[in-house]
Amino acid sequence: MTRPGPAPSPVPVSDQVEIHPGPALLVGTADGPTLTAHHRRYGPPPQVDLPTLEALVTAVGLRGRGGAAFPFATKLRAAAQAAGARRGPVVVVNLSEGEPASAKDSALAVCRPHLVLDGAVATARALGADEVHLVLPGDRPTARHQVRQAVAERRDQVRVRLHTAGRRFVSGQARAVVELMSGRPGLPVTAWVPEAVSGYQGRPTLLSNAETWAQVGRLLHVGQAEFQRHGTADEAGTTLLTVSRQGAVPQVHEVPFGARLADVLPAAARGSVVLVGGFHGVWATWDTLVDVRVSVPGMDALGLPLGAGIVHVLDPDGCPLGFTGAVVDYLAGQSAGRCGPCLNGLPALAAAVRAVVDGRDADDRIDRLARMLVGRGACAHPDGTVRLVRSVFAALPDEIAAHRQGRCSADRSVAHQRSGGFS
Amino acid sequence: MTHQLRVDWPRCQARGLCYELLPEIVGLDEWGHPLVHGAVPNDLLAHARSAVRACPQVALRLVDAPPRRSAGG
Repeated sequence: MTRPGPAPSPVPVSDQVEIHPGPALLVGTADGPTLTAHHRRYGPPPQVDLPTLEALVTAVGLRGRGGAAFPFATKLRAAAQAAGARRGPVVVVNLSEGEPASAKDSALAVCRPHLVLDGAVATARALGADEVHLVLPGDRPTARHQVRQAVAERRDQVRVRLHTAGRRFVSGQARAVVELMSGRPGLPVTAWVPEAVSGYQGRPTLLSNAETWAQVGRLLHVGQAEFQRHGTADEAGTTLLTVSRQGAVPQVHEVPFGARLADVLPAAARGSVVLVGGFHGVWATWDTLVDVRVSVPGMDALGLPLGAGIVHVLDPDGCPLGFTGAVVDYLAGQSAGRCGPCLNGLPALAAAVRAVVDGRDADDRIDRLARMLVGRGACAHPDGTVRLVRSVFAALPDEIAAHRQGRCSADRSVAHQRSGGFS
Repeated sequence: MTHQLRVDWPRCQARGLCYELLPEIVGLDEWGHPLVHGAVPNDLLAHARSAVRACPQVALRLVDAPPRRSAGG
């Protein structure tokens, strides 16, 4: 007897992206993605020595754009120091974009691939690395094709190697990527030291998100002063956000740090709730968001971590509880299936959330499962899922209370759907 | 120097030897996987080392630093 397959993502991966012109990374998108157009706008590939590169990324406080917002300078320094003692370092561009609702990395792939590559290649050369690895998305053929075309146009001094990530949600995790590059299943493994110190083949592995590399590339081309023209004094530059809605092509916006988040949200957000940070993110009502400024430390302090910049606007007719249930069902199926707490705990958490959707009391169960899941796995997949579930209780207590009484915010008539109904 | 027990989660198969050898520090969740409560005090270090050696999956390590994990770049 066959088991049912894993639950699908409530937000499907989109091969199309609606890219909004921006002030920095996304300026001149009408130029097209060719190398010729890129050279016309930015000039030849930048070359930089390691001390200058370190100084630049430190001065602008560049953080990674893959979700953890880790200071890039710290990672760069770790790789540089380890490179002295071990075999040659490698640079890895993570364009796997494993989160279905995200589209910012694919947007860069189709309109600014050479900025990504310039940043990665210049850093590789500064580090003395002769290999740049690109990890492409398994389920976005247009982005994959564009990156291959861009690579084919170039004549870099480093060897560029391409890999295609699996379609699992966890496939884009750093160690999973290193495993993939090594010819093993692309699943997270325990990291005893950071990959910047010892990763691929035991070599210092500077792995960062595609947008991080684009930011580095742009910084090297335009210089510190121009880079710092956008953003705030404490947080220089811009960041890419994906605004996601059910049934709509995802929109990618470039936003300077300090700008109002609400400015890029559609009018429909006013009457609805928003999931900030994607499937491992946090629910927020419009009232909470109306004055929020886009900022990594700022939004962290508000308990609304930006993550990889995904903002999903729930359909005004949708139920956030039902949607959360569908997300947790999906995330449970996306586990690598190897770490016991995640393998066992996520399906149990999904069942508990379904109970809450059905109006039953599962608060204690969810609390116990949450404490059992956090910090007990090779990656942050269980932690992120717990964050999502906890946020429903924190941000949407009225919704939970309504379900207890047999109602739902998605009710529009007597014949409504509760569990299983989501938007 | 603080010692911490760290579980190599993809390897752990809930065999439970760590719990049997070091119940002061290791509990079990409802599926039999280890729950590590805090650091290893010096007087239990020898037992902790036994637990590390005894794990059939080589899924337990004694480390000097607090736990960390990598992200996605």
